Amino acid sequence: MTGEIFNANPTVYALSKRSTRKSKFEAGRSLWVDEHDQPKLTDESDIEPIDQDEIFDLIRSIADPEHPNSLEELRVVSAEQIEIGHNHILVEFTPTVPHCGMSTLIGLSIRVRLMRSLPQRFKVDIRVKPGSHQSELAVNKQLNDKERVAAALENATLVGTLEKCLEPVGEHGSL
Amino acid sequence: MATAERLVRSWMASEKDSEVDESVAGISSGQLTLLEIIKALGEFLTSEEDRLRAKGVEFLSSILGRCPHEKLNRQAVGVLTKFYCSKLEDLETIIPALKGLCHLVKFPNVQSADAKDILDAIFANVKMRALVQSIRFYVFTIVESLLSTHRGTLKEMGSMFLSGYVNLAVGEKDPRNLMLAFSIARVVLVEFDTSAHTEDFFDITFCYFPITFRPPPDDPYGISADDLKQSLRLCLSATPALGPLGIPVFLEKLTAGSPATKRETLHVMSICLPVYGPVVTHEFGKKIWSSLKLEIFQPTDPTTEQSALDTLQVLVRTIHADTSRDTVGVDSIASLARDICSECMQTLKEPEKAQARAAMKVVCVFAGADGPLSSFAVSQATELLIRNFHDPDEVSNRASIVTLLTELIDACRGDATHASVPQVSVLSSSPLAASKDALLGLLIVGLKAPATRLPALHGLNALVRTPTLVADEELGYIVLEVSELLSQEPDEVEDVTADTLTLLSVIAAIAPHHLSSQTLPILFSSLPDDAPSRDAAAQRASYWRALSALSILCVQPQLFETLVIRLTTKLDLLCVISPTRTTDEESTAAYAHAILTGLANTLDTKVSSKDVDVPKYADQLLPHMFRLYLDSALASSEVVAVAADPRLLQVGARIIRLVSETLNVAQQEKLVTAVFAAYMQGDVKPVTNGLLNSIAPFAPFHLNASSRQRNSLTLFSSTIIPLRKEVRIPVNNLSTFLSELVAWSDSSSSTSFQQEAALHTLASIVNKHVEDASGFLSSQLEDYWSSRLNSTSIPVEVRKNAISTWIPITRALLVRSHSSAHAFIDHLFELLDDNTVDWDAARALGLLASEDPVLTKRNAAVLKILHVQKYFNGVMPRLLEGAKGVSGSRRETAYLVGLASLINAVPKAVYVTQMPSLMPLLLRGLDLADPSIRSHIINTLSNNIDITSADNATVSMYASTLVLAMLKNCMYSEMPDPGVRAAALKYLALLPGTVRYDLLHPYKAGVLKELAKALDDPKRVVRKEAVNARTNWFKYNG
Repeated sequence: MTGEIFNANPTVYALSKRSTRKSKFEAGRSLWVDEHDQPKLTDESDIEPIDQDEIFDLIRSIADPEHPNSLEELRVVSAEQIEIGHNHILVEFTPTVPHCGMSTLIGLSIRVRLMRSLPQRFKVDIRVKPGSHQSELAVNKQLNDKERVAAALENATLVGTLEKCLEPVGEHGSL
Repeated sequence: MATAERLVRSWMASEKDSEVDESVAGISSGQLTLLEIIKALGEFLTSEEDRLRAKGVEFLSSILGRCPHEKLNRQAVGVLTKFYCSKLEDLETIIPALKGLCHLVKFPNVQSADAKDILDAIFANVKMRALVQSIRFYVFTIVESLLSTHRGTLKEMGSMFLSGYVNLAVGEKDPRNLMLAFSIARVVLVEFDTSAHTEDFFDITFCYFPITFRPPPDDPYGISADDLKQSLRLCLSATPALGPLGIPVFLEKLTAGSPATKRETLHVMSICLPVYGPVVTHEFGKKIWSSLKLEIFQPTDPTTEQSALDTLQVLVRTIHADTSRDTVGVDSIASLARDICSECMQTLKEPEKAQARAAMKVVCVFAGADGPLSSFAVSQATELLIRNFHDPDEVSNRASIVTLLTELIDACRGDATHASVPQVSVLSSSPLAASKDALLGLLIVGLKAPATRLPALHGLNALVRTPTLVADEELGYIVLEVSELLSQEPDEVEDVTADTLTLLSVIAAIAPHHLSSQTLPILFSSLPDDAPSRDAAAQRASYWRALSALSILCVQPQLFETLVIRLTTKLDLLCVISPTRTTDEESTAAYAHAILTGLANTLDTKVSSKDVDVPKYADQLLPHMFRLYLDSALASSEVVAVAADPRLLQVGARIIRLVSETLNVAQQEKLVTAVFAAYMQGDVKPVTNGLLNSIAPFAPFHLNASSRQRNSLTLFSSTIIPLRKEVRIPVNNLSTFLSELVAWSDSSSSTSFQQEAALHTLASIVNKHVEDASGFLSSQLEDYWSSRLNSTSIPVEVRKNAISTWIPITRALLVRSHSSAHAFIDHLFELLDDNTVDWDAARALGLLASEDPVLTKRNAAVLKILHVQKYFNGVMPRLLEGAKGVSGSRRETAYLVGLASLINAVPKAVYVTQMPSLMPLLLRGLDLADPSIRSHIINTLSNNIDITSADNATVSMYASTLVLAMLKNCMYSEMPDPGVRAAALKYLALLPGTVRYDLLHPYKAGVLKELAKALDDPKRVVRKEAVNARTNWFKYNG
């Protein structure tokens, strides 16, 4: 790391409430208010596909390389910036300042987290939000080039920094 | 004389402790005198041979150390002083002489002249660097003793003493000696005139700051770094004279140090600054502030930041210490404080930035200071922020502004969130008083926009919790504005309901009348008279929102009363028995169920917080409930009777139980008598307070009773469960009653809902009235056992049913450690050999140790401590014995199932010592077909993985087996039960943190590959665990 700080005084946003999934009653699927509406683990029938919220849950807690805040707090990532199609995911992120030199690192940490956490059938595209970074194309290219990502992950120092960003976990000690 | 001679000679030859003891004993008893010993020693004390001389002095010193103090008179002490002082000049005897002096100075007969002589001799002759730690310790002890006994003399010695001592203390490194040196320095600095030697003392104290000492593992003196820190702090803060020299040291350590050093420095500064005084502090104020600023605005960690804030507070207080008393006014504020304030104001101009929060923390520190400074800082900050809030260009930053103001309001109240700020006394008006109206206006404006709504609610919350700040009519205004949020559609409001309700419940406790006039009408009006139709999900959500809000707000007694009246009226209308099936029965029942649930939730809160107004609802609410339910129970199955629905009965039972729990013995007796009259004799009048007059007979215990009547037994059981053991059950023969209850529960027409009610009743009564039920117990053990449990001629289902009846009875006895429990347990063991019901009996053995909702302290059950442990210790060896075999017989499996169920049920502390022997059995259990047993076992393993981590030999030994077994259990293709999959993945996630890497290295690649499949599990919960597990395995490195 160069030691240069790209944005010394970033805007910190309040966290949105943790996405709470609706109970059966709230979703209008049951007439009955059930106090203990835990998702029943023994219920084998339902299939719950991977959705936008789930992907956001995976990446929201990643730490910013410059600040002791999560990407969610700095609004680098948000649930709205994630698109999910059939076996295809597009994650957009917004660097806090257009000259942010950490963008590639942030993008890479998102990629690594998703690489570890999503089934292999998904193709993941990671992009800087259009118009939010001065060298948008270069960053996008870097992040979506298989070879370059693989090369970056050969670099022990870089992986060390990445692991630090990926260290923080969600509220309940899990992702 | 001869004795003395003998003792001396034998000491010189042997150096044995016994000679010293004997001499001291002689002196104490008067058979010997010290003089005799000295005479006998004579030739050695003056011997030419160094070794003999040293030994002679040593002997004398050892005797002095144990000699009774009254045996030496003034002359003797004087002579000994002179003698020892002269021996200090002798290089060979200096060590025993110091030892002797160390003992001598403790004698009360030491004169001030002696003290002076001793010190002079020490200063002149002792070279500390030449002595080892233990001898230096004597020197410090001598000085310390003299300092406490002859302080006046030492003061008279003046510079002589001070410079002499400094010479001794310089360069000391041993922690034990430093403890003494620090306490000497403290006394000297506080009491002596050290003005000429300030720098010397600065050198021998500040050179140790900050203490980085770490005690060696086998430290014989047990001195911790904290002890040293404490006594050094006392030195550093001993005198104002150290200030000008000391503060630069602090500042230097603050810029260069590690976080721990920084915290220690900040802490010491907080102690020292008040001592150093306003003048010195002011002189260095700017520099201190710039150091603190760094810690606050670019904090390394939260603790250091907090320490810096605390120190800042001390700084501000110190520089105002002399002015705030006499001059009150803005003029008294030091220029430094003004500068700090204006710096913060600059930062606050960008309220959305991270630095603004830090600046606000500084302002909050100022708000905690007293007098004019507090109001100066607070008014500056509020004015600035309020102006900014109304600035049209700053609209996007409003949320941040409100958040900052909330912090300030909290700080002005000085409550738990800012523990370091002392309580602003209630008498002095809050510094916010002046800007209250503007603040209130701002917060109300904040409520209107979605972005600022949440922070505004928090702000209002902070405001109303400030005592005496908000007037009653203003509270009314707040309630009016906030209640509007509740009536809005949930989508529009970005889910602030919870915070809205928190604010309103705070106000409810202070001023309930505002809520009852403004909030409750809105909420009640959103409860429709009729249930919304089946497809009207939005209306359903809306009534539940209203009910949840009501149940949170109406905890306050007055509001609760209103709630009960309004809701029961609504229920009466909904639960009217109608002969035709025109209405949508299920929707209506669900609506009534929601209303009852709301009511029960409020009661639950009230009971948990031990509100005193609950018992009166035994008369006001319960008869109503019984009328509602019994009326429906009596209705024929042809007509629609909403309240006959078991789900409604369940909530009703919960309400009855909650109220009954709070009643005293007499009240409970009254209730239970009325209930028995209804259920046993069919007289429903007493329990419904005469509200119900039915022609149809109420006889739920009758064999031909309708299903509706039978269902209502759940109300009966909920009355019985919380009864105290002093309350008599109003039946003639308890045993007969219990046997009838069992027969009723076992009858073929019973549903599981009805059985549960009966068994709860059974457990509660057996537990509390076992003395009156001996007939019942023996008939169970004999007739019931042979005709039901152990009878092979009856259908299996009936036998399984009988086991379920067996469990509550056994458990009721077990929790009170009753002797007959053993017989019941033994019978279950017999069933383990029975091929048809062995697994049920095995599971029952686990259930006996599980928590249940009936036999609890809250329900006044008779509980003996450690009953689980006793049960476990009795049963476990038998299960182990039975499960140990490896023949794979059905009997072994049954024992294994019993073992797994039992371990899963008891707290882990009970079995943790047996884990090594249990491990192979548990691993075998993972192959059992039953998914619930498997997940029990996996959970047990997970619970224990952290215990064994200190000595994880058990886990490590089986690590590879465990990995493979878990991988098999986490695959969707192999294990259909998602609970087991999730548990297995959770366990896999724990392994990398527990087992040494080299043991599992061969599996890493395979595990990662397999887990990639689990990432695609159809269940979200399972996927989440898979992600965790896989992340942990990725990070798992040698």
